[in-house]
Amino acid sequence: MKFKKRYLFALLALIIGIALTAATYFAVGIYQKDNIAVITDAKIADRLVEKNKDVYNNQDETREQTIHVKVLDGPYKGKTFVEKNVYYPSQLVTQKYRAGDRIFVSIKKGKLALGNPKRDWVLVLVVTITVALMIALVGRHTIALVVSMALSWVIFYGVILLDVKLNGAYIILLFGAADIIFSFISLLIVQGFNKKMLVTWLATILGVFVSFLLCYIIMKLTGETEMQYETGDYATQDPRGIFLAQTLLGVLGAVMDEATDIVSSLYEVIKVKKDITPKELINSGRNMGQEIMGPLINVLLLIFIAEALPMTILYLRDNNSLSSAFGFTLSLGATQTVISAISIVITVVFATGCSLLLLRDQRGGKL
Amino acid sequence: MSTLLVLVIVLAVLMTIVGGETGIRSFFSVLINTLLLILVAMLISWGIDVAIITLIFIPLKLVTIIYLGTHDYKVAKNSFIAAFIVCLIVSLLILACQWLAQAAGLGPEAGEVLVGLSQMPGISYAMIAVTVAIFSTLGAIAEAAVAMSSGLLEIKRHHPEISRHELEASGTAVGNDVLGTAMNTILFGMFGSFLSLFLWYFRLGYSFGEVVNEKLFVNEALIILYSLIGVLLTVPLSTYLISRGMSNEVEVENEDRKHKSN
Repeated sequence: MKFKKRYLFALLALIIGIALTAATYFAVGIYQKDNIAVITDAKIADRLVEKNKDVYNNQDETREQTIHVKVLDGPYKGKTFVEKNVYYPSQLVTQKYRAGDRIFVSIKKGKLALGNPKRDWVLVLVVTITVALMIALVGRHTIALVVSMALSWVIFYGVILLDVKLNGAYIILLFGAADIIFSFISLLIVQGFNKKMLVTWLATILGVFVSFLLCYIIMKLTGETEMQYETGDYATQDPRGIFLAQTLLGVLGAVMDEATDIVSSLYEVIKVKKDITPKELINSGRNMGQEIMGPLINVLLLIFIAEALPMTILYLRDNNSLSSAFGFTLSLGATQTVISAISIVITVVFATGCSLLLLRDQRGGKL
Repeated sequence: MSTLLVLVIVLAVLMTIVGGETGIRSFFSVLINTLLLILVAMLISWGIDVAIITLIFIPLKLVTIIYLGTHDYKVAKNSFIAAFIVCLIVSLLILACQWLAQAAGLGPEAGEVLVGLSQMPGISYAMIAVTVAIFSTLGAIAEAAVAMSSGLLEIKRHHPEISRHELEASGTAVGNDVLGTAMNTILFGMFGSFLSLFLWYFRLGYSFGEVVNEKLFVNEALIILYSLIGVLLTVPLSTYLISRGMSNEVEVENEDRKHKSN
């Protein structure tokens, strides 16, 4: 009976989500800056302008699309424009449009400029799939997960606001404080307020800050040699500060994940086997930590480094040596990964140590 | 000595102390995984088909992460099977969604970064975007599979006579925690990876509507969601594989007994 109800809710979420997806797809007039237009061609005329070969011997083409777009909102609503769009099939910096696309356009003095295709509806669609799947698999727990995730985005937004307001000053303090608040709220929502949650929180904070301090000292002692902060992307303020803040923020989730895994598994073990000794418990924690730390470090490695792959490929494509491509595109991500990895390893120690508190609790204060 | 090198050495020492033999193996799994990523970049830059490279490197990376990272063969085997099946399903989803999102290539900063670089590299950046998304989710899926399998097997070790039904109940409990916090690893990892991009959006006065249609933001948000979907699928699949493995064992034991009694 319980199962059926869960699937029913999942189906309901799916239907609502698809309706929202459609609403987003067809939405017009809600965007502040640009107007929406739809490509009316059944098949877009696509002409080869020339075949190109650059100095690096890369072969590409220049193509030109002739597109009819009908504006859907704003003062030019209902008008059709004919535009030419030049693109390269590799689509590194150019955009190829498809028939029927809904796209952003900006119109100034009767001249239309093509912008991004509408992508927000894809986000809504995939959010729908995720939430429906979540409801089907974990049921009521979904609410806590979604709320926790939404709150994280809100706090993240707030922290960014604050950082911009402070103009990048005290960035380490700001993100350090953010880590403490983030972890408390996330753990509170997912686990509820209890001893297990407080133990996990303690382990998380110790894991993040002790290791960050250690790495900071190492960086100071080695004089931060070969740390090319200026290669960080999108730097709008002191790149070194941004790097440290990114590191503090990026590792928090993983450390929280790990501390929760170890503490809650040990908690289950304590529940199942009442007569466990502290030594056995430490062994069990170490066992779990050993299993988890490798894969967890790899999660962050893949997130931090895969992101840089498109640039790395481009550098290599343009006959740069491997070491210069690495220096320009991967070294910061690699450093961030290693610092995070150190946090993850140290957290095994703290999470197991803090779990002893749970055991003591169960024995009525005696170890 | 460069800072990165010293940090790597400190990491190696710490992993050896805390993790023992498994720690050393984990260290190498991370190292090999990094080299594999660089190898992927090199192979793609040489013009080898992106889709083929991706298909070959998915199992290769999973093996590196799971088999080298865990010392328990049983945990590794269960995790690998679960992770591989989930990865294939998620890859199909990624392929479809990336096609819909049309979000290939570099972001809004491209103009500045590209000085002196080719703008016409002659390889499909649409396909590279798919590869990046798949590789970004791979780690989370493998991690969830290992956390599930090792959590469940740990319970079984301490409580050998546990029934299949009880184990499945424990699986739901462990699964909920793994899921709730796998979410954090992914979310914060992405926050940490893209903080500077968010600051850029904010300082340049992007509106909300612009941000949610912007190439890099959409890609990032989609990667978070793909990873979540991957982790979600991993939880029941891991539990199923382990409880099924249990019943097989029981059968084997029963057969052994039969042989002995004969």
